[in-house]
Amino acid sequence: MSTMSALLPLATLASSLLTAAVIFMLPEQAVRTRTALNLAAALIKLVLVIWMARGLVAGEVYAVEFAVVEGLSFVLRVDALGLTFAGLSSLLWLFTTIYAIGYLEDSPNRRRFFGFFSLCVASTLGISLAGNLFTLLIFYELLTLSTYPLVAHRGTPQALAAATVYLRYTLSAGLVLMIGMVALQVLAGDLRFGQREFLAALGPEARPWLIGLFWLLTLGFGVKAALVPLHGWLPRAMVAPAPVSALLHAVAVVKAGAFGIVRLVYDVYGIAFSASLGVLDGLVVIASVTIVYGSLRALAQQELKPRLAYSTVSQVSYIVLGIGLFGPLGTIAALAHLLHQGLMKVTLFFCAGNYAEELGIHRIDELDGVGRRMPLSSLAFTIGALGMIGMPPVVGFISKWMLGMGAMQAEMPWVIAVLVASTLLNAAYFLPILNRLWFRPGPAHGIGTWPAERAPSRLETSVWLLLPALATALLSLLAGMLAGLPFSPLQWATRVVEQTYLMP
Amino acid sequence: MTELSLAPFPLLRLPLAPLLFAALLWPLLLGLRAALGATIGLGQLRPHLSRSLNKPLNQPLSQPLSHPSSQSLHRPLDWLWISAPLPALALAVLGPDGSLWLEAWLLGGSWELDDQRRLLLAFSALLWGLAGCYARGYFAAEQAQAAAGDTDSRARLLRFALFWPLTLCGNLLLLVAEDIASFYLGFALMTFSAYPLVIHSGSREARTGGLAYLVMAVLGEGMILAGLLWGAGTGSALTLSELRATLATADMGLWMGLLLWLGFGVKAGVIGLHLWLPLAHPVAPTPASAVLSGVMIKAGLVGWLSTLPLGMAGVDEAFHWLGLAMLTAGLIGAFAAALWGVAQHNPKAVLAYSSVSQMGMIAALIALGLLQPDSWPALSVLVLFFAAHHGLSKGALFLGVGISEQSPRLPAWLLWTLLILPALSLAGALGSGLIAKWGTKKALDAAGEETLAVWLSLAAVGTTLLMARALWRQWRQWPRKRHMPGSSQTSQKHHTSPRLPSQHAPTAANDRRLLAPMPLAWLISVLAALSLPLWFSLLAGGIEGVLSGQLADRFAWPPLSALPALLWPLGLGVLLSVVFGWSLHRVAVRLSHWLPAGDLWWPLAFCGRWLWHLVRRMLRRLAALQSGWIAWWVARERDGLTGLDTLTRAEGWLRRQLALLLLAVALGLAAVLLLADVDHDIQRWRQTHGDAHH
Repeated sequence: MSTMSALLPLATLASSLLTAAVIFMLPEQAVRTRTALNLAAALIKLVLVIWMARGLVAGEVYAVEFAVVEGLSFVLRVDALGLTFAGLSSLLWLFTTIYAIGYLEDSPNRRRFFGFFSLCVASTLGISLAGNLFTLLIFYELLTLSTYPLVAHRGTPQALAAATVYLRYTLSAGLVLMIGMVALQVLAGDLRFGQREFLAALGPEARPWLIGLFWLLTLGFGVKAALVPLHGWLPRAMVAPAPVSALLHAVAVVKAGAFGIVRLVYDVYGIAFSASLGVLDGLVVIASVTIVYGSLRALAQQELKPRLAYSTVSQVSYIVLGIGLFGPLGTIAALAHLLHQGLMKVTLFFCAGNYAEELGIHRIDELDGVGRRMPLSSLAFTIGALGMIGMPPVVGFISKWMLGMGAMQAEMPWVIAVLVASTLLNAAYFLPILNRLWFRPGPAHGIGTWPAERAPSRLETSVWLLLPALATALLSLLAGMLAGLPFSPLQWATRVVEQTYLMP
Repeated sequence: MTELSLAPFPLLRLPLAPLLFAALLWPLLLGLRAALGATIGLGQLRPHLSRSLNKPLNQPLSQPLSHPSSQSLHRPLDWLWISAPLPALALAVLGPDGSLWLEAWLLGGSWELDDQRRLLLAFSALLWGLAGCYARGYFAAEQAQAAAGDTDSRARLLRFALFWPLTLCGNLLLLVAEDIASFYLGFALMTFSAYPLVIHSGSREARTGGLAYLVMAVLGEGMILAGLLWGAGTGSALTLSELRATLATADMGLWMGLLLWLGFGVKAGVIGLHLWLPLAHPVAPTPASAVLSGVMIKAGLVGWLSTLPLGMAGVDEAFHWLGLAMLTAGLIGAFAAALWGVAQHNPKAVLAYSSVSQMGMIAALIALGLLQPDSWPALSVLVLFFAAHHGLSKGALFLGVGISEQSPRLPAWLLWTLLILPALSLAGALGSGLIAKWGTKKALDAAGEETLAVWLSLAAVGTTLLMARALWRQWRQWPRKRHMPGSSQTSQKHHTSPRLPSQHAPTAANDRRLLAPMPLAWLISVLAALSLPLWFSLLAGGIEGVLSGQLADRFAWPPLSALPALLWPLGLGVLLSVVFGWSLHRVAVRLSHWLPAGDLWWPLAFCGRWLWHLVRRMLRRLAALQSGWIAWWVARERDGLTGLDTLTRAEGWLRRQLALLLLAVALGLAAVLLLADVDHDIQRWRQTHGDAHH
């Protein structure tokens, strides 16, 4: 094992951890240093992840491990699956950091915010690079704890209440996860991700236990992945500032839950063994219920951010649905959607934040005619919303298409009905918003006034807020239009699946 | 990359790829130009900025006109904008047959040009171009207002200038696409970009029409997506021909076919799914109605042609039933739409119902592709011809509605002859209509479907009635005394058709010239519609085909002896319209009030609202249930905490009273011992006493 191979994962992790430490030590007023530090760390991390991706394709191995106690190790190991999540989080992290800098301009407690922000991305990276359940669990809990101050950031009674709800849900889930992990350790020893033959070799008498443990661990991951009925914390947490919402919904938290389920199915149990245990069908049913239920609840929301939040509940379940569809196409769909949903949802939350910051808009019926006042943000929002509906050429279509193919490969044609119902519901709650944005006269046409308009700037809003939204919108458009290019999300997911799928 | 074969004009052979890209990208670029214009305009007119410049908004601005970029900003529908479909027309005429494979595009793009696509492309691009040219004249008043500084009309025009080429681009893409993803993209792009065209005027009727359009379109998209996913997933198909092959043999092929038929049927106006047509057409600007009815509803037809296994050998037996359903629905649509349409007041609504009726006839012909696969090769060319004929004639008719509202300087007899000609052609009396009818009759006779031929002739009676009705309504609305603007104003007040305020403004004199864009576009569309047989076979078979006479007999003029058999529906129709028109003219107004355009939409919309309230209430109850459930848990938690508190309190109490308690325990113990002692004594006493007793 060369030093380089051990150094790179640690360096990637450290790039955020050290930043967090330095930010906590900097004084509150050191705005420029902090900004430079944040951006530099985000860029360095992205470069390191891309470097590892290139190395991995070339056949390099990156791994670090040391024993914590006898029979229990701390393992960091880079594989294609983990790098998928790491790449997503580092890319979106860059944009979210830029956005957060603009969003929190001149607001108090920025040191605390950015410190925990960096800690949060460090734990996300830890989750993606973790090589066994124990390491995953450590970073998973760290993510919970570092997100709490972010949700509670505003300090209002509402924010505190939402943060408490968040903590309750996630800490109990962490407890459940720990119990499951310990039980699995007792059954099979210290399992590395990818050692799928151990559980399959345990014999028929262990099967009831394994099924029970699967659902226990799914319960633990399902809270962060916001599966119905464990989703209650997510819509409450929308009181947090917009960058935090982006973080919760697109970059880190819900994705960590979904990623946990991905690891559980593919790398702990193994897809073939999961299928033979019959747990995949259960996942498909849960995901389908969540998809329809989330869309229905989104339809009834009158405010923008809760509607987007319920839309997340519905969309993240596409990943779980893809996992549940036995066959390589379903897996490709799940992994591709992990990336696609992040791109689209982060765009939507950036835009919702822009509307709130620039014009003070929170309710959907206040959006009349915003397209004339903020055309670029509205364009980005339109791209994101059309993607969510599944309209080509935005990436959402690619996800939906691959899911449909996966459903047919798994011989579950009824899943297509779920997909179409979700498409119709998505259209029913996103198209009225688009109609209001572009085709209804509003304050920009001289009818009424905006709830709270900010002092005018040169562009429609601050550059820091506008650029990330435009960049992610453009990426979600390009990733769909050029899905056939070698390093598009779809092709990367295909590569991951080709390398790991159904390996004994 | 490209496989070249013979172009129809072998002397002018151009490579396919650049032509294809130009055809698709040129409209996009023009749309982008409009969007940029809109953004720049917004930057100039941001309220706070103009306030800071201390310049009132609605002042006639002479300064921006001198600005180089502002020409396109204030008159977005310029000549460059009209050129949007020209590359597509060039592609149709000069492009060689062949295919283009794009690895990186979506799921793998494959675009093709063959005879069928060439024909569809040619008439679509032609009509788009003519309607675009017409739009320039149609919106002249609005453009003048925009140039005078009216922000609202300028915004509306820029929106039109943006979405018109986008819709065109979607339409062209769906025509050339061979891979499913591109096809679906083109279809969706066309469908959703047409929404802003429908609601252009922003009136209440336009919003209703737009809503009907959008709701039906989304439903259609859902069914199409379901059918495509199901079919493509079953056969792992990526191209349309693979999809057709999959459908033909798959177990559940019938259901996939049904979904696709209904999904595309929304666009093609299958009866029951046609609700958006009579609501959206009258409210859309006239050029948009022309392309909606002329070209865009043909996209549904293209969808059927490219996804259903028409005329394929070895098709699953079950498709017979789908064919029967299509045939029945088509014929019902042909008649029902005619009956409902003649009661309409607005000429554009009448024409919309006529489109439903005509598409019903075409659908009935397509159904034969499933019922009698052997006769499909002959029928398919006929269907294409019928589609092109209907598209161009209906386009000319719609454009004529606007002409009769703002008539050019033509003698009345010439104007009305020109207005009547496409109507007669559609009714099957002359030009392409007569040839289409003759071809249909021959093909149906050859296929042994004489009954269907009779039914279609009867439907042609309905078409004649509709044409008579539409022309009559136009005649009644025709502002005859043009030199007396007052009278035309009052007559326009009776119109039910919502119209832009700008159109009430007297049209500039030079827009009435015969060579102004609007009359010119209309004239060319009438000519193109009537001369369709001449250039259609040229495109269909190339020069060699025409020379060898292969297609000549297919699109030949009928012999004189066949004319009575072809023209009796027209005679009957004219007779019936005279009889009905005379006998029912008193109740006509009330009748059109009872039978509103959009027929089933109104009861369905009512049900929909009711259902929505129901769902809303259910969701609210669900939310309440959920919060109740959470509240229950929170209450249990509080109970638990109260229990813990009680325990703590009890502990504290215990701690405080420990000495006393211990004392009490000690005392108790002592008492117990004492009592036990006493008890012991008593027992002992009893024992001794009992013993003594014994």
